[in-house]
Amino acid sequence: MSSKLMTAEQAISRFVHDGDCIALGGFSTNRRAYGLVREIIRQGKKDLVLESGSSGGDEDMLIGMGLVKAINVSYIANAGYSMVCRRFRSACEKNEILFEDYSIDVQTIAYHGAALGLPYVPIKNMLGSDLEAKWGISEEQRKSCPKLPPVKFIIQDDPFHPGEKLCLVPCPEIDVALIHVQQASPEGICRISGTAFQDEDIAIAAKHTIVSCEELIPDEEMRREPDRNMIPGLCVDAVVHIPWGAHPSQCAGFYDYDPQALKLYDECGKTQEGFMDFMKKYLPATHEEYLQIIGEEHLNTLKVDPELGFARALQRK
Amino acid sequence: MEYTSQQMMAIALSKEIKDGKTYIIGTGLPLIGGALAKHTHAPNASLLFETGVIEGNPPEVPKCVADLRNAYRASVLWPQYRYFGFQTLSGKRHYIDAGFLGGAQIDPYGNLNSTSVGDYHRPVTRLSGSGGANGIATWCDTVIVMKHEKRRFVEHVDYCTSPGWVDGPDGRAKRGLPADRGPRAVITRFGVFRFGEDKRMYLAELFPGTKLEDIVENTGFEMDLSRYVMAEAPDEETLRILTTEVDPEHLMV
Repeated sequence: MSSKLMTAEQAISRFVHDGDCIALGGFSTNRRAYGLVREIIRQGKKDLVLESGSSGGDEDMLIGMGLVKAINVSYIANAGYSMVCRRFRSACEKNEILFEDYSIDVQTIAYHGAALGLPYVPIKNMLGSDLEAKWGISEEQRKSCPKLPPVKFIIQDDPFHPGEKLCLVPCPEIDVALIHVQQASPEGICRISGTAFQDEDIAIAAKHTIVSCEELIPDEEMRREPDRNMIPGLCVDAVVHIPWGAHPSQCAGFYDYDPQALKLYDECGKTQEGFMDFMKKYLPATHEEYLQIIGEEHLNTLKVDPELGFARALQRK
Repeated sequence: MEYTSQQMMAIALSKEIKDGKTYIIGTGLPLIGGALAKHTHAPNASLLFETGVIEGNPPEVPKCVADLRNAYRASVLWPQYRYFGFQTLSGKRHYIDAGFLGGAQIDPYGNLNSTSVGDYHRPVTRLSGSGGANGIATWCDTVIVMKHEKRRFVEHVDYCTSPGWVDGPDGRAKRGLPADRGPRAVITRFGVFRFGEDKRMYLAELFPGTKLEDIVENTGFEMDLSRYVMAEAPDEETLRILTTEVDPEHLMV
């Protein structure tokens, strides 16, 4: 198979377009694709629709930069270091983005449905709550945003169990999935260590998938142990080698979260000005420069202890 | 013996965990309560995390459900969809004894808001959202941790993220929810609250040093305060384990 290896600049410019529906891998402060997100910001891809699941500061940065039109969300926080991501919060309170609430279980099941090629998933979650009663994005507003399904869901009687209700949730049509994995090969075979979250599903469901990786491994070596691989190159369009590409979130087997960076982001994000100052400092032209700003010595303190699976004696307060 | 209300709450939380049973652990204080239970009376309790970590044994206090620490000596790391399938099946098969939740507002029936304060479309305060809370409240019994303040204990929540007993004994069945699941207890700095036959919250245990007036002043709805017992103050050994073994970094207690 031919190599899909390219730079972040090439991958984002080729596969991410204004108005796209994108889904990002990881969970809150774990294995978020920050390196790829920074490149989306550099290129100013806008009017994005986010299939968010349980997200964190990476999506908050896209919102703060004014690049997001709508978000289907169940949770957005750098959990443990912020109660809620502050640029998201501000954008909701000021009516600057369209937002629709789900629960993470619903989004996970809908993404799995999308990966199975299903049009919708019938569930009972959300019944009896305001996730059922209140719609963040009206049917009218949805008409102006064709990347969103025309309705949040449809409530219907269960045809197999009379008298029981079901909530039919449309499976999203994701244009681009962006995930950060521990190991990938040039042809796009991916190996994820630790919890995989919903990365496999969004990578399969999306029309295009961009993978960034800690380590680039030869195809031949990956094929020696296929049972350890999770995503084949068939589902991957671009492979970008970005060591520390999930910083300041965690990456199992490699590094812990960066408490200092997460606290600083939360503090700066209190105002739009503070956020923009933060981005000015921490969004240099290349990832290599970003790592220089964070500093090798500091990064070394985040490396996980192989026995424990997390960084020993990390200052986490 | 000196102790803080956070420590008292963590101990009350741990008592909701029974040895050999399975619990869903969310962020914050429940992480401490779960770890304390495993260090004391419930070494064989299983902890699940919505990220897909099954039977995790965090050796340090995790900061959140996605924390790498949760996966330490876990039995399996499932992709999320498998975990949520398991949680749904538990609605019928009782795999899970209870899940732990928190929120910004709660009403007398244990309905919880973790989405927004004020008008949903133009919120005064937008919060992080459901996370996995709605699904847990749909399928499992729950134990809820709250800051006990009048603006949080309200007659009606601004947004019902996670249904409790909805509006009374038949509230859940009417909405299509499993009728035999729902909130089991609410734990605050003042005590432990449970739900009566009318499915309204009542005071079940009063923490030492708390006056009934504290509860009246900080609760925005009528509550039955007539049938409580006094909770015991924490013993020295439990406090020692809590502060030196469970949370020596003092991240939460």
